[in-house]
Formats: sequence, C-alpha cells, structure tokens
Amino acid sequence: MTTPSQNSGQLSASFRDPSGFLFSRDGVLYRQVNRKYEHEYARLMESGLYDKLVKVGLLIPHIEADQPPAEEARAERSEPTGERSRSEAYKVIQPERVPFISYPYEWSFSQLKDAALATLSIQRRALKLGMSLKDASAYNIQFVRGKAALIDTLSFEIYKEGQPWVAYRQFCQHFLAPLALMALRDVRLNQLLRVYIDGVPLDLASELLPSRTRFNFGLLTHIHLHASAQKRYSGAEVKSRAGTMSKQALTAFLESLDSAVRKLNWNPGGTEWGNYYDITNYSEAAFEHKKRLVGEWAGRVKPALVWDLGANNGVFSRAASGAGAYVVSSDVDPSAVEQNYRISKEAKEQNLLPLLLDLTNPSPASGWANQERDSFYGRGPADMVLALALVHHLAISNNVPLPQLADFLAKWGKWLVIEFVPKSDSQVQKLLVSRDDIFPTYTREGFESAFRQRFNIREAVPVQESERMLYLMESL
Amino acid sequence: MHFAPLPYLDPGSGSFLIQLLIASLAGIGVALYTSWNRIKGWFGIKSKPKDDDEEDDDAESK
Repeated sequence: MTTPSQNSGQLSASFRDPSGFLFSRDGVLYRQVNRKYEHEYARLMESGLYDKLVKVGLLIPHIEADQPPAEEARAERSEPTGERSRSEAYKVIQPERVPFISYPYEWSFSQLKDAALATLSIQRRALKLGMSLKDASAYNIQFVRGKAALIDTLSFEIYKEGQPWVAYRQFCQHFLAPLALMALRDVRLNQLLRVYIDGVPLDLASELLPSRTRFNFGLLTHIHLHASAQKRYSGAEVKSRAGTMSKQALTAFLESLDSAVRKLNWNPGGTEWGNYYDITNYSEAAFEHKKRLVGEWAGRVKPALVWDLGANNGVFSRAASGAGAYVVSSDVDPSAVEQNYRISKEAKEQNLLPLLLDLTNPSPASGWANQERDSFYGRGPADMVLALALVHHLAISNNVPLPQLADFLAKWGKWLVIEFVPKSDSQVQKLLVSRDDIFPTYTREGFESAFRQRFNIREAVPVQESERMLYLMESL
Repeated sequence: MHFAPLPYLDPGSGSFLIQLLIASLAGIGVALYTSWNRIKGWFGIKSKPKDDDEEDDDAESK
C-alpha cells in the first residue's frame, strides 16, 4: 500500500476496491471514501464497531480530514453516461500511519497466525453489530504497536441475514492454506505467498499437504473439500434456492475456521540460527559491549527507523529500540524470526517488527504493474542500518565484493553500524573450511578502504575480548 | 449469487457451496454441544466457560 504511482498521488495497491482508495498529498496519507460506500461507512462509525475495534487495537484509527478529494484519476470509474461531472467522493479520512508496511511472505508462522486470528476476531465482532468483512486479505493486516491490526477502514459491508461470508475463499488462500503448509509440511512454504499474490491456490495446498490432514476436520473441509468444490463448480451459477446461511450457522462456521487455525502450530528449532547465540564464540563481555555500543550510538544519532539486517532473535535490535527507534528486525532464518516475534509479543513491545528477509534476495516489487507490493528497498531508506556479524556472510559465503557491499549499505540507510569480523575469527574460519580462500582483500584495511568510498567512519571501536571491530559510519 | 449488491471480489461458486455445507455441519455440532452440556447440567457437571475474548471486551466497554 505504500507504492506511490506516478500520477495524482494515488497509491497503486488500492485500485481494486470501488469503495475508495488511498492517496498521498504533501507527504500525508489519506483515504478517499466514495459515495458508493456512504452507508457502509456511516454504519461502521455509528454502530460502535469502529470504536470497539480501535479500542482493542484491531483497526487503525483515523480522523475525518478537512481535505479536498483526489478526483482526477478516478473519472473512468464513474457511470458511463451523464454522471461524470458528479463527484464520487464522499469523505476524506486520514488513517494513522503504519510505521513500516510488511507483507505475509515476510512474516514468521506466529505472525501469520495472529493476523489470521485477528481477521476472524474482527469478522465476529462485525457480525454482532450487523456488518461483515467483504475481504480477508493478509495485505490488509499490518503490525501496529506490536499487534496485528486491520488497516483498510473500507473493508466492511452491511451484513444481510442469510448471506454467506464472501471473503471465505480469500481467507483460506491468504491464511489457512499457508499456515497449514508451514505447520504440517515445511515452514519455508510461506514463500509461496510471494508468487501467488492472492494467496496459495487451494488445489495446490491440497496436493502439497500430507494425506493425514484429510483426517483433520478443519483441513479436510476448508482445504481439501473446498479445493474439490472449487474445481467441480467452477463457473457454475449458484441459484438462490441453493440455500442461505442463518446468522447462527455463519457464527458456527467462523468458529470452525477459528479452531482450524488455532490447531495449527509450529515450533522453532533445528534451522540455521535457531540456537546461534549458544554456539557462537563471543564472550559475555564482548556481547554486552556490543549491545552497549549499539544503544549508545542509536541514542546519539536518534534514528526514527532502524533496519537490523541479520538480527537473529533481535538482541541488538532491542538495544536500538530501547533508544527510541522503530526497528525492523530482519533475519533469513524462520526460527530466529519466530523466536524474535514471540519475545516481542511476550514483552508487549510496540516499536519492533521481526521480519523474514533474505538479504541476498530481498522482497521484490510485485503484483499488478510491479507496483502493488513494494520491494523491501522501496520501503526505505532507513535512518540507520545495523549490520552486525553479517559482513563475513555476505562477503565470503555469498561472494559479494566489499566495495559492492558498501554501495548497497549506503543506499539502504544514512547511518551504519557495522561489525567487521576478521579472517582469524573462528566463525570465518568455519566459512572457509571447505573452500578456497579467494578473498585477499578481506582484511580490516581492505574493509575500511572499501567503506571509506561511501562512508565517513565516525567511530571504530574494538569489541572487548574479541578480534572484531564495531564501526559507526555516516554515508557520504 | 443472488445477494445484492454484488461483492467486488468473486467469492467463487465452489467456495459458496462448501461454506453452506460446513456451516450446516458446524451448526449441528454446536447444537449437539449445547445439548450435551444441558445433559451434563442435569447431572450437575458444569462445563468450562468458553474463552471468548470478544465477550470480555464487550463487558469491559460497558
């Protein structure tokens, strides 16, 4: 939702819904509510649903802004004849800005599960007050103050008794299917969401899930039978006599979905860095020294947004968030991100976002016209980047030359806190054990000279009881 | 689909039909559960109160 399109400030992720759309003006994000959506908006605000959801943090708050609408780009959506001159706009609202937009393929298992449960919880509350979610897109959920919250104020429609849940298919594709695959097949299958922008196709999920899931009532019905029904009735017209759903039946149905989601669990461990800090070669003193330096430097520079790259379970991210920054704490390992999220949730942290990110292949821009979902880089730059115990992985395991690494990091943030791990370090020796040492410039001098091309080195401090160096750099 | 206004997302015919099926099964489940609790009630066995976050919030906001 943050990708600005080239014209009119209308944001290119919100083009599908005729109820309204997002636009930015003078750097402020607004949402235009169209006349078409007037009744639904009024019901949301007057039924008490808005207040209730905002109060429990399930919906981002907004104010009604005294702003003219963003019309011009919407002319083509008007009625074909006669109506063109009439304004489509009903209201302009200003939603609270989300500190960092993230996508489901960047979430750990529990983040996706919490987003799913939040969606169902919103739907149940809406139903009690005569409304229903008309979509159940994982992209409408963001982590705000550490909690999964709906960011699309225009997602509600007025509920009519007898009506089924129109967003059911989307819920299964965006949430239930990837969660089931992650929990019961392989946690890395959340990456399917990166390819299938409207969620994992249910026939694919059904094929990939272990056959024992056919003995699980929730997965049998919501995934396997659902996939078969889709195939069998594809394009069929459903006649009104096909039956309607009482509110009680719909409530029971939502309970069944909720229980199918709750039964899915995945526990970290066994992957790359899951227990990294137990096997590392740091001493306690080195570890504490590093934490203290990160905290001090973040306190001095006062960055609003920090990207911790290779954050593991977020120990050093917390040194920065403790200094007041909003920290996107990313790692390539699903176990580390899961642990990080659990720690963050347990401590009710509000300014830290654990995220799954492969630095050697960061999230690309994707979707319609490559503008619907922003690349990771497109959501920056950050004010400060933390690259701790990272350089050797990129330079040696991934063969990135140091000057290119410096270029890359200079683009991603103004300030850089970076750790240099020399070849003599046992962690680097491990990386070199099974390959030729083709890195003659991988020395402290080589590192500093490469980074001086793009940065001013403000601080260079040897980490206590180690051979490592910690730097604070400012990009040129 | 016969519900007006038409949804802007296609809910899918198959998804609609399977939803009706599951809802009726789930409805029967709820009915059985309720009767079972009533039967247990006759014998003085109290069922565990359901952990319903929504109800708590509602009570809190009153």
